[in-house]
Amino acid sequence: MTDELRERVARLDPMHSEVPTESVTTPSSRQLLEDIMSTPVIEQPETGPTPKKSQWMLGVAAAATLVVAVGGALALTNGGSADPTVAAGPPLVLNAGTNDSMAMCIVFDVEFLAPMPVAFEGTVTEVEGDRVTLTADHWFKGGDASQVVINAPQGLEALIASFPLELGEQYLITATDGNVNYCGFSGPSTPELRSAFEEAFGS
Amino acid sequence: MSSDLSRRQRFEAIAAEVYDPLQRYLRRRASPDDAGDLLGDVLLTIWRRVDDVPSESPLPWCYSVARRTLSNHRRGIRRRLRLVERLESEPPSAMLLDPAEGLEDDDLAAALSALPAADQEIIRLWAWEQLEPREIAETLGSTANAVSLRLSRAKKKLAETMSRQSPPSPGHKGDRHAEEQRR
Repeated sequence: MTDELRERVARLDPMHSEVPTESVTTPSSRQLLEDIMSTPVIEQPETGPTPKKSQWMLGVAAAATLVVAVGGALALTNGGSADPTVAAGPPLVLNAGTNDSMAMCIVFDVEFLAPMPVAFEGTVTEVEGDRVTLTADHWFKGGDASQVVINAPQGLEALIASFPLELGEQYLITATDGNVNYCGFSGPSTPELRSAFEEAFGS
Repeated sequence: MSSDLSRRQRFEAIAAEVYDPLQRYLRRRASPDDAGDLLGDVLLTIWRRVDDVPSESPLPWCYSVARRTLSNHRRGIRRRLRLVERLESEPPSAMLLDPAEGLEDDDLAAALSALPAADQEIIRLWAWEQLEPREIAETLGSTANAVSLRLSRAKKKLAETMSRQSPPSPGHKGDRHAEEQRR
């Protein structure tokens, strides 16, 4: 079943193997590669590029002492990466629980959703104690980090703001001043909530 | 740290391996013109970070760079479209690729299109890029276990969507699958 499904989906591929692509040896490809190889490389600091694990730990360590000002990707050092737009940046770190800005709930409305500075759809990839890591599948607003770490208050474990963050599940999250908003402004990805996000932030 | 010569050699070797699959990856998700520009951006990042590229299996790492490059590109498109208030009338280029058009397996194509974007992408990485869960994990910055779980759920959703869209009728292959799912 699985192999057959894979084959069926593969047959939908508009760029299947019989569709020609440009060979790496054509003059224009060679020119492209030569142009790229003539681009100066900014050498990394002596420790070299920061491995992903270190970046992760950096983000987590920062979370212990920092309430993150959001509005863009977190600008922690990324080990001297030459291209911040595409290099694996540090995770965005958010907090959930006591400090959230929606502690006094207002009735959910797209009008209130739209001004929220951080909005993304992500999938939980790790739950470890008070820390939940999500892969950002889609940024609506306010960031471009590939990972987001949410720190929940101790004792709540992975239960944040009345909806549990479960491994492998997808969520729509908003945040203000580094704190996850709830009261319906964050939650499991449902068609309804996604529609609201798309209406508020664009697709 | 690479000397100039070894950096060039390493980059050339990587480029030879990933040039074709990267073109396909980008053309599946962007217009042909944009895909050409994006390929240059991805290769430039690979050149700059050639020491980071895994020796044994560079492709998932390169797909990961392509994914981020594409994501930035889409954000730029959305910003521009919003500026000229054309968001509704002109979708981003990445949406131009409609797998349902002109294909025989319409039920499956429609069901795939109906899945959430993240589920569609994981199915495509599995079936179009022919990646295994650990490679998808590297591409998406996730873990193999999480990807396996997501892939399994996405496949289940795909089957359920197909079964809802196509009532069973004798002799139709896709419908037999739907029927099996219901048992």
